[in-house]
Amino acid sequence: MSERPESEQKLEKLMSQTLRGLAPRRAPGTLEARVIDELQRRAALPWWHVGFARWPAAPRAAFVVVCAALIAATILGGASALVGMRSLNEAAALPLSLLHPILTVFSSAGGIAALLVRVIPPLWLYGALGFGIVLYVALFGLGAAAYRMLYRPSSAGDL
Amino acid sequence: MQTQTKAEFTIFMRAYQDMVFSTAARLAGNDAQAEDIAQEVFIRAYEHFDDLRTSVTAGGWLKTVTTNLSINYLNRYRKRWRFFSEMRGAADEGDADAPELEWEVPDSILAELSAEQRCAIVEAALRQLPEHQRLPLVLFHFEELSYQEIAIKLNVSLTKIKTDIRRARAALLPMLQNGCGARDTLDG
Repeated sequence: MSERPESEQKLEKLMSQTLRGLAPRRAPGTLEARVIDELQRRAALPWWHVGFARWPAAPRAAFVVVCAALIAATILGGASALVGMRSLNEAAALPLSLLHPILTVFSSAGGIAALLVRVIPPLWLYGALGFGIVLYVALFGLGAAAYRMLYRPSSAGDL
Repeated sequence: MQTQTKAEFTIFMRAYQDMVFSTAARLAGNDAQAEDIAQEVFIRAYEHFDDLRTSVTAGGWLKTVTTNLSINYLNRYRKRWRFFSEMRGAADEGDADAPELEWEVPDSILAELSAEQRCAIVEAALRQLPEHQRLPLVLFHFEELSYQEIAIKLNVSLTKIKTDIRRARAALLPMLQNGCGARDTLDG
């Protein structure tokens, strides 16, 4: 990599001298009161509104026990469900009959879509697809342009 | 919050609040955001106050937390707009070896002004820099991090960090030389 020009090194040194010598800014007078108010507000919150790490010991222990019990129940329940699956084969006919109307609606919608694809000329379909893409890109471009013009902070420092 | 602890924490806060606020304001480039960040820093400090109250490295701890929170704060908003605001990012990365810019670097700047005036002009100039230049510049010149450390902290390539800092210095120089409009603020 080429060595940096002398002017760059001089500028770096100048900036270091100028910036590092600056005194800190005075904090707003409201900061202290804001912090104390927020600390008092948080201290007044009930334990179930704060993070788990700051819960009292008893609720924390109870929570762990309940979670462990739920996990155990889920594992045991799953295992017993697998074992009992064979005996439930007969009962499966009932849910399948309930699903029938839903499957009919989906297959009808699929049939209509296939019919439309056959009836409408392919050129129209491609045209509509292309139009949709152009609209999407235009909207995206407009959004980007609006952001750059209206929202983006000044880039006066850009070279 | 106990009265004794509150009094001790208030003293602690008064000792460090200018440093914390300055660091946040320079990084964020916005006083309102800096105050939010400073508030969060002190709330975290309170959670570790038992250790911090006697620690000689409390200032360093506060500075690190302030820097990290400021970067997180800026990232939270930047992520929403990254696609738009950094469209040129990839194109900018490769020009670290771009031709030398035409600078006439003086031996000193703002030397004739008082400390307060210098501070106001520099702060105003920093606010005018775009975020991707201000952030690495402040980390390098105020927080004294190396290029490598800044690249890691900001999750940006080393080449881009060097380019952004170089450009930030080049942009800052004429602003400081011209007072960058901050003299109006001072006069006002």
